[in-house]
Amino acid sequence: MIVEFKLNGEDVKVETGLAMRLLDVIRNDFDLKGTKEGCAEGECGACIVFLDGMIVNSCMMPMNNVIGKEVVTIEGFSKTERYKEIEKAFMVEGAVQCGFCTPGMVMATEGLLKLGISLTEEDIKVGLSGNICRSTGYEAIYRAVRKLTQEVVLND
Amino acid sequence: MIDCRRPETVDELLEIIDTGKYRIFAGGTDLMVRKRQWQGAERRFEEDIVFIEQIDELKGITEDKEHYHIKTCTTHRNMEKSLVLPECIKLPYRLMGNPAIRNVATVGGNIVNAAQVADSLPLLYALDGKILLKSKNRSRILTVEDFIKGKYKTDIRENEFLHEVIIPKIDITGFRYKKVGSRKASILSKFSVVFLYGMKNDKLDYIRVSIGAVNELPVRNREAEERFVENRDVKEFLTAIRKEMEGTDDKRSTKLYREEVSLRIVEEYLSEILRGDSYE
Ligand SMILES: Cc1cc2nc3c(=O)[nH]c(=O)nc-3n(C[C@H](O)[C@H](O)[C@H](O)COP(=O)(O)OP(=O)(O)OC[C@H]3O[C@@H](n4cnc5c(N)ncnc54)[C@H](O)[C@@H]3O)c2cc1C
Ligand code: FES
Repeated sequence: MIVEFKLNGEDVKVETGLAMRLLDVIRNDFDLKGTKEGCAEGECGACIVFLDGMIVNSCMMPMNNVIGKEVVTIEGFSKTERYKEIEKAFMVEGAVQCGFCTPGMVMATEGLLKLGISLTEEDIKVGLSGNICRSTGYEAIYRAVRKLTQEVVLND
Repeated sequence: MIDCRRPETVDELLEIIDTGKYRIFAGGTDLMVRKRQWQGAERRFEEDIVFIEQIDELKGITEDKEHYHIKTCTTHRNMEKSLVLPECIKLPYRLMGNPAIRNVATVGGNIVNAAQVADSLPLLYALDGKILLKSKNRSRILTVEDFIKGKYKTDIRENEFLHEVIIPKIDITGFRYKKVGSRKASILSKFSVVFLYGMKNDKLDYIRVSIGAVNELPVRNREAEERFVENRDVKEFLTAIRKEMEGTDDKRSTKLYREEVSLRIVEEYLSEILRGDSYE
């Protein structure tokens, strides 16, 4: 069946099944490989995208639940000013080692910053609790996000 | 090839499920894991599927004088952010899964899935929560306790779906909630304790204690609760609850740990009341 939704700002159509995963559609049908598959069961966050502005795990999202909605992947998000601030903070704080969790971490970070409120240490940990990193370690990532919450919230 | 249906209204949904051969699919956070498949392949559903997430009539939280009504496709995120619900209902939802899961996991899915670790079940047991089930030709209301029959077992019939959860409003003076898992967030419960109490004219009016994930079904003992209000005997209460515990060791925890620690938490909560500690 033809499924229509918005992908990174453009109206798109794709021939697929309603029970196919959004993750497979963005990676295979649209060749957007920035969204990763880690655990395939909602635990690791490597597959996070925005769906109507909220973070969701694309590995658990059937195409039915995407119809008529707006999806933004890391490729789409990387064109924004906010992305550049996040990228810089991650670089300065050394919050990237192997990079596999990074697209998901960046999306979850934006999920937090978007709240537009000042965040406690607890908020940051809860906000990133669905993202697992096996190489960088969490402290550098928390440092980057802490820094962003101070800068971004003050600037906004 | 399986057949996938996408009704836009409840009436259309009722027609579709009346054939009795469709599996209902809401947020998919339980189903997509259970039907895991290789990358790029359609999930391994054996039955035909009817999706319900797009049905707007099935979302939202409302209240009347006596009840809260929570439609089945309300997400855990909607619950945690609700302006209508009291904190004691919101908190367990705030501690389920992780943010990305809570954005899609639904209230109805957690109940009908009926996992031993489902965190909404002890809450709904403690609140005497009910559910409204609908099929083409009839509706019925059951208590959650009567609906859940065991681990992954419920009383749902093939042509029915869960329409909403109904929670009676009660005067709650204080509550406590503890979810224990091997880490703080994004973890399934080893066990959880829901504790509510009410005072009337400075006297203890009721307590409600429900313990999740120790047995296949949440543990709640109404008689023991009533006895406690009369005699304030913590030991007697704990003994009555312990008698009902029949869990086993599994990958998440041991029977001994679950029973000992959950009872000590209950003991602490009861002692707090007896000491007259103030509750927030
Ligand atoms: C990473 C992760 C973490 C999790 N953490 C927790 C946790 O901490 N605590 C917890 O309790 N759970 C947790 N879960 C489990 C899950 O998120 C919840 O059980 C959720 O509420 C299921 O809702 P859903 O809409 O996604 O269900 P679905 O997967 O869509 O459906 C689940 C079951 O319910 C049936 N169903 C759904 N809606 C209806 C309806 N209206 N009428 C009839 N049948 C229906 C389906 O047929 C299916 O059998 C977690 C899951 C994941 C992947
Ligand atoms: S791949 Fe989706 S959460 Fe791990």
